[in-house]
Amino acid sequence: MFESHIAVGKSLERIDGVEKVTGSAKYATDIRLENMLHAKLIRSPHAHAKVKRIDTSSAEKLPGVRAVATILEVPKVIEYWFSLRTEKKKKQMFLRDNVVRFMGDPVLAIAADDQQTVDKALSLVKVEYEPLPAIYDPFMAMEETDVKIHSRGNIAFKVNKDYGDIQEGLKKADIIIENTYRTSKQKHAALEPFGTCVALYQSNGKLTVYSSTQLPHWSRHYLAGALDLPLNRVRVIKPHTGGSFGGRCGLIHGLEVMCSWLSRQTGRPVRMSFTREEDFIGTETRHPMTIRMKTGATRDGILTATDVDIVSDVGGYGTHYIGVIADCLSTGVGLYKTPNYSFSARAVFTNKSPCGALRGYGNPQMNFAQESQMDIIAEKLRMDPLELRLKNYRELGEIDPVLNEKILSNGLRECLEKGAELSGWEKKRHQWKRYQRSVKATRNRGIGLSIMLHGTGAGKALPDPASATVMINADGSVNLITAAADEGQGNRTVLAQIASETLGIEFEKISVSETDTETTPIDCGTHGSRQAYSGGLAVQAAATEARNQIFAYAVKELGAAEDQLRIKDGVIFEINNPDNKILISDLMRKTQIEDMNVCEQVIGSAAGVAPAMPGYYGAVFAEVEVDTETGEVKVLKLTNAFDVGRAINPDLVKGQIIGGGVMGIGFALTEGLLIEDGRILNSNFSDYRLLRACDVPEIVPIIVESDEPTGPFGAKGIGEGCMVNVASAISNAIYHATGVRLTDLCMTPEAILKGLEER
Amino acid sequence: MKKMDIKIHVNGDWYELAVNSGDRLVDVLRDQLDLTGTKEGCGEGECGACTVNLDGKAVLSCLILAVQVDGCTILTIEGLQRGSELHPLQKAFTSESAIQCGYCTPGMIMSANALIYNEPEPDEDTIRKNLSNNLCRCTGYDRPVKAVLKAAKDMKGDTNV
Ligand code: FES
Ligand code: FES
Repeated sequence: MFESHIAVGKSLERIDGVEKVTGSAKYATDIRLENMLHAKLIRSPHAHAKVKRIDTSSAEKLPGVRAVATILEVPKVIEYWFSLRTEKKKKQMFLRDNVVRFMGDPVLAIAADDQQTVDKALSLVKVEYEPLPAIYDPFMAMEETDVKIHSRGNIAFKVNKDYGDIQEGLKKADIIIENTYRTSKQKHAALEPFGTCVALYQSNGKLTVYSSTQLPHWSRHYLAGALDLPLNRVRVIKPHTGGSFGGRCGLIHGLEVMCSWLSRQTGRPVRMSFTREEDFIGTETRHPMTIRMKTGATRDGILTATDVDIVSDVGGYGTHYIGVIADCLSTGVGLYKTPNYSFSARAVFTNKSPCGALRGYGNPQMNFAQESQMDIIAEKLRMDPLELRLKNYRELGEIDPVLNEKILSNGLRECLEKGAELSGWEKKRHQWKRYQRSVKATRNRGIGLSIMLHGTGAGKALPDPASATVMINADGSVNLITAAADEGQGNRTVLAQIASETLGIEFEKISVSETDTETTPIDCGTHGSRQAYSGGLAVQAAATEARNQIFAYAVKELGAAEDQLRIKDGVIFEINNPDNKILISDLMRKTQIEDMNVCEQVIGSAAGVAPAMPGYYGAVFAEVEVDTETGEVKVLKLTNAFDVGRAINPDLVKGQIIGGGVMGIGFALTEGLLIEDGRILNSNFSDYRLLRACDVPEIVPIIVESDEPTGPFGAKGIGEGCMVNVASAISNAIYHATGVRLTDLCMTPEAILKGLEER
Repeated sequence: MKKMDIKIHVNGDWYELAVNSGDRLVDVLRDQLDLTGTKEGCGEGECGACTVNLDGKAVLSCLILAVQVDGCTILTIEGLQRGSELHPLQKAFTSESAIQCGYCTPGMIMSANALIYNEPEPDEDTIRKNLSNNLCRCTGYDRPVKAVLKAAKDMKGDTNV
């Protein structure tokens, strides 16, 4: 189906592998600058309070203490880059006040010569609070008008959207299923804790910040806004990053701005590094949601109506609460061709830790509800859940009503078919049920499936620029200049493959720049599974321009028409006369150095926005064993098939599918912050349970390649979608195994035992 | 604060260092010897990112005080390589795509190195159990386990600690 390539479609080794296995890769936690100060925060012990007085006088007298910064002067960033579009909106991005809105909200920071002095200084600070009534439940927050978490009220955002006529749709339904689903406050738990930064404000008025942000260029905007600096005086350098999963989609609450402020006061580099506990209590999480969903279908299993109402718990601050809801809408409406869809949602502030982006955005929550509903409908209609999906999913060529875009690639059917075949779906679906009825087993096996759609990039919903520069050197090697932030998924490797393929120059000859706003053109950053697609398009365009310039020189050199020229393995040749050829290195040396009348370097640049937001698709088949005496669920196997368009690097894609699969199991079974009276109870890895090597089942990754015509070499995304529908598939498998339908995440043994009792 | 003198053998060289009584081994490696390949993921003995080899065993350097290792031999990720050639474990982690963000990788490799030193031909179950001391949020563990299995076969117990 695809023509043969030199780099695209090949599982080439990642470009940063050797650095990472030798320990030489530098992460933000490893950055040390000369004369560096150390800083630490005081965090609020109250979930909601006014800071009445801050007394730092004794702390400041301590030798070695260099600077203090408090929330009274240092602004918090409380919106995301959508707000950069207008000056008025931009102003509202920054909040400076004396209120703390969750337990752990930063109040002030001190910078000193060493960590011991900082700790001592912090113990000498006196902060006087006036506690305010705190609200932890979003439903109460909506009703309670006396307690305002933000001055504009507790409802951060609300939306109603209707497609078709919901009442008509419900009338046409033969069955209507209604349930309420609740999802947990999942934490990213990246291995490198969120919250290390080194900032240096120099006397020439220039600020340099080492930050693990996924969005170096937008972070530069945020810092420039918060510190009132021109953009060209702010430089953000993103070193290697120990995982992000959405949680570094901007700045970290209380980190970079605070550090920069302290550095500006002292003229010295300032380092701040959160502990794991601070990561758990003070940085963003997934939005917990309560989703009421009513779904109607005909006897034949044709969906007629979906009515959704969502309450999303933002916590004390949230930068992504609108986008997350928009994602629920677009993935919910987009997946099935339900003609009548009514969607309403509210994002509500509570006095809990802030919520933001986490792999999948709002999709894992929405998908859990919607795919549970589908399973219930299939059961009621005595229909194979797979058949129900096939009857209703929105197919190739149809218009997605939310995006108003035509679906140009869709491999969902193949995902379902391949997944069913490799998991043994049909057989297990029947046999395991029989087995449970025949033996009074205490270990019941079940198999369940679910599907998903996720958008690649942001399309035109958000400012989503991508750009790249490709420079060809005199020896034929290539510098690819891009701000694409690699969080570990390997997108810099993928972009190098796209450059290599487009240029016809070997992969080994491509060197990818550091991620540094000073030397790279603007890129929206790494979010929304966009880098292979949006970043890839920019690289492809820049490399195409460079290639055209090379051809222009080659036309003169070889005396052949441009359309007769080809490049392969670093050689330019005439297609019908391959002996008429020149090495790119010879040609480039000539034009750059040898011919003193020219002295030009080939430089291709491209900037712009992707033409679409293509959906990528997936089907997950989960097999579980439930111990009916303990309620323990063991995931036996996942068979996960994803349509990624063209897989630029199949090995990296499979790596995402396996890793995302495991994160999805966590979301289903073990992960969620527990909060009592505003206090997070499980702020360490013993109590917040991530899966370990001995806990994970076999995961069979299947790549389905549809050809996305708008994508570079047909590519779409994968990073987020691969975890989206794991929880719903596991839940459906648990139902198949036990007849217990769970509506709350995560699905604990206690909930399963309770379900078994009530069965 | 009173400093104490210790002598430790790290990656083939002896170092004489003055440390605070509360300094952890991970701090001394990272801050005094600039061996930042050893990572800190939790500081509480739960994630394994700080794993190094101490007298032939895998230990969590965030739980050990520097003063406790006076006179000991320590190997960190930076000392694993043999000259300009990557160690078989390092090779296997790259060739088997066992790395994503790489933050867990030094700890995983050092855990595996001690395992193979003490048990030259571990089977998959043993490796899986052993790597369960190391959290990884990216890879889902499948490939690190396969990488160690491959390296163990190549090495047949021949490793330095
Ligand atoms: S940092 Fe030592 S175990 Fe996590
Ligand atoms: S590769 Fe990122 S934590 Fe293991």
